[in-house]
Amino acid sequence: MAGIYVHIPFCKSKCRYCDFASFSDKLCYAESYMACVYREMAKRKEELKNYSFNTLYIGGGTPSVIDESYIAMLVAAAKKNFNLSADAEITIEMNPGTVSARKIGVYKKCGINRFSVGLQTAVNSQLADLGRVHTLNEFVTCAKLLKGENFSADVMIGLKNQTAEDVEKTIETAAAFGASHISMYALTPEDGTPVYTDYLNGELPDGDEVAALYEMGVKRLKELGFDRYEVSNFAKKGKESRHNLNYWRRGEYIGFGVSASSCINDVRFTNTFDLDEYFKCILSDNFAVIDRQEIDKEGQEEEYIMLALRTERGIDTADYKSKFNADFAKKYSSQIKRLERFLSVDEKSVKIKPEHLFVQNSIIIEFFN
Amino acid sequence: MNSKNVRNFCIIAHIDHGKSTLADRLMEKTGQVSKREMEDQLLDSMDIERERGITIKLTPVRMFYTAKDGQEYELNLIDTPGHVDFTYEVSRSLAACEGAILIVDASQGVEAQTLANVYLALENNLEILPVINKIDLPSARPDEVKAEIEEVIGLDASYAPLVSAKEGIGIEDVLEAVIKYFPSPEGNTKAPLRALIFDSYYDNYKGVILFVRIKEGRVKSGDKIKTFRSDKIYEVVETGVFSPNLLPKDELSAGDVGYIAASIKSILDVAVGDTVTLADNPAPEPLAGYKKVQSVVFCGIYPLDGSRFNDLKEAILKLQLNDASLIFEPDNSVALGFGFRCGFLGLLHMEIIQERIEREFGLEIITTAPSVSYKVVKTDGETLFVDNPSHLPPQSEIEHMEEPIVKADIYSPPDYLGQIMDLCREKRGTFLQMTYLDKSRVRLEYDLPLNEIIFDFFDSIKSRTRGYASFDYELKGYERSKLVKLDILLNGEPCDALSMIVHEDSAYTRGRTLCENLKEAIPRQLFEVPVQAAIGGKIIARETVKAVRKDVLAKCYGGDITRKKKLLEKQKEGKKRMRSIGSVEVPSEVFMQILKTNKD
Repeated sequence: MAGIYVHIPFCKSKCRYCDFASFSDKLCYAESYMACVYREMAKRKEELKNYSFNTLYIGGGTPSVIDESYIAMLVAAAKKNFNLSADAEITIEMNPGTVSARKIGVYKKCGINRFSVGLQTAVNSQLADLGRVHTLNEFVTCAKLLKGENFSADVMIGLKNQTAEDVEKTIETAAAFGASHISMYALTPEDGTPVYTDYLNGELPDGDEVAALYEMGVKRLKELGFDRYEVSNFAKKGKESRHNLNYWRRGEYIGFGVSASSCINDVRFTNTFDLDEYFKCILSDNFAVIDRQEIDKEGQEEEYIMLALRTERGIDTADYKSKFNADFAKKYSSQIKRLERFLSVDEKSVKIKPEHLFVQNSIIIEFFN
Repeated sequence: MNSKNVRNFCIIAHIDHGKSTLADRLMEKTGQVSKREMEDQLLDSMDIERERGITIKLTPVRMFYTAKDGQEYELNLIDTPGHVDFTYEVSRSLAACEGAILIVDASQGVEAQTLANVYLALENNLEILPVINKIDLPSARPDEVKAEIEEVIGLDASYAPLVSAKEGIGIEDVLEAVIKYFPSPEGNTKAPLRALIFDSYYDNYKGVILFVRIKEGRVKSGDKIKTFRSDKIYEVVETGVFSPNLLPKDELSAGDVGYIAASIKSILDVAVGDTVTLADNPAPEPLAGYKKVQSVVFCGIYPLDGSRFNDLKEAILKLQLNDASLIFEPDNSVALGFGFRCGFLGLLHMEIIQERIEREFGLEIITTAPSVSYKVVKTDGETLFVDNPSHLPPQSEIEHMEEPIVKADIYSPPDYLGQIMDLCREKRGTFLQMTYLDKSRVRLEYDLPLNEIIFDFFDSIKSRTRGYASFDYELKGYERSKLVKLDILLNGEPCDALSMIVHEDSAYTRGRTLCENLKEAIPRQLFEVPVQAAIGGKIIARETVKAVRKDVLAKCYGGDITRKKKLLEKQKEGKKRMRSIGSVEVPSEVFMQILKTNKD
């Protein structure tokens, strides 16, 4: 099974931490852009005709900022060009400040069955600090519109002046208004973003403080019935994101639109990050790929380990064997021995112990060549 | 050229008094290099020399000058280092010369190394020509400095040329004085060859290049030569002079300064200070060589990647050829594996060698904290010298220990006397005497334990006197002292490479500071790491490197996978730059942390 990703690079205003391909002043190009996306999909139709897809993920940017009719056409285009299974998980990302009852109605009608809402924090001053365009109230309104739907809320930790109570309040708000899934990320100050300046000025919590917020958050989420299935992702039973699980199992996926990435047949490729360049390529009947990399066997295995160890279930040794034709515990016996305090190993799996999941990098790199 | 018209000389001075700049001007004036080719500090050809603005290696150059008497002269100049650590380099160049230009800064006057270098020159029976430099500076006081030279050194400075090497003033006066006051070389060109090797280096094509001063006889290509140290015979393939690059010349004869290439492949067959002679007509006696180098500071050098031991060995052998003051022997450490114990003339010398190994040979190395050589008298009466703390016999077998003491000369304006005396007291110094050279300058003499001054004494004295004081020292002998071995334990395991020998009174402070420094320098690991200092099994200080709590890439979805993997690979690379000591990953710089005694 494989996934489809579509990138919508528009937003109302750029958040202070954002380093994605996303433009706040180019909404007027939405129609042309979507036309190009449909065209790009059609161009991939032949090559992917033997693939079955079971997830479609519309991300951004802010997909909810463009006219809902484009989204409906997008879902239709995906269904028309690819074998998208009838029970496919179809997710759209939304900013609580850009939704309406009408929009959600259209989304549901066209087949979207999962909503990912960027709450980030329930503290209005921190929302403003991040440059988010919405308030807590708007999230509440949005959540009410999604009542009964399968929706996820994003929560950020490690914000300027953020306390444990702030994180707790954010989690509780998301849970109280019906989220069935919560992604809890540590803010990553990327070079070139305004938040990076905050980081350089020492205004952000340090690693230990973030770790404390994380541990508290994990505990509170568990109490509220959200099980961690990946280091930053928590879900009520059966509500895990299938689309994202596919990434962590090193599954195949095809991406459309500016900056979208794909991994098909052990080749990773990425589209241009430049909107004009994307238009130019698609309109001249070319693809817009700027980077293409074949992953060799060793690279595949390292990716597999790196991604699987992010998840609660870890490395499924039977799955590993079917993919790499080797016994994981045997091949990595010296690493497993050296790291035994941090790993939990049985016949079926090798995983990082829950209490060490937040220090996984130095564990993962031990398995690299 | 008639040897009457040859002058072999060097330039000596305190550091920063302008040796290399004057050498540049002399070359420019004699047309050795055109103005266009002129780079500042032409003779400082090593990258490190240019970057640090110091001369490390002696560099010879030959110049021609038509003097006011209408005759043409050949002038062989050897530029020398000024830092106290490189006295050995200076002494070698002195042996190749008849005269020495002594540069004294017109505003700073006589400094510690001015004096030290003058004594060296006098020991070698050189004629000394004082030159007052930097007379263009507003603070120049040439007359007072002349008086100081006469009073402190006892040289007649009345004829000293007044110069600004920077501005090109008085350069001709220097050249004329060189011709007038320095003797021409003597030596029988008919006698059997005797050539003193004063330097050498390894050339990938020509083999070992010997820098020689021909004292007697002559040598040309095709000659069979040998040295007194080895019986191997080599055929000379090229002789030549320094211009300053190697310039072939058919023959070298008594009085000449030049080089010999003889396809010498084995670095071990030649030694600086040895004498070259002809195989079929050997001289009966070698020339007096140099005093054996006395290493002052010792440290262990290990390859970061243990499998590169042989590359490190090759590098050290080649460096020794170029730097005879570097001594070494194989060593091994429980923590660091196979490496070398090396001896240096001082801390700067040690730093330079480390840097040269890394730069010139592309090797990454770990160096352990420097130590001096202690004398250990055992209960059974045996006496041994220990420069590696991990070779110290058990406490129960030691009757007593002695440490090296130096006599230090400190020159300073009187305003800083208090600070200097405080520093010397902190460093366990014994005051000997104080002399006023004039109103503005005082000479202080102290006895100081060498292990107190090798670390940061030089920097401390500079910072406490805002750079005004100068310092030089010579070894005096050994004195009985209460010394103990301070061990460091990482995660409960002793780490031999971090052990040090310290005075009993400062052991607690050192132990504490060291643990604090190590706590900062060792990155946090997956588990908590106790860092402890111990004396003979008794723990005297402890710090804890806390376990890392966050080490995760927050998000990782479709588009991130390649980028995130690269980040992890980078982290893995960083880890390769560390050494595992037991279960603890330690960056290579940690072993130098011992150097930092306090935070000033």
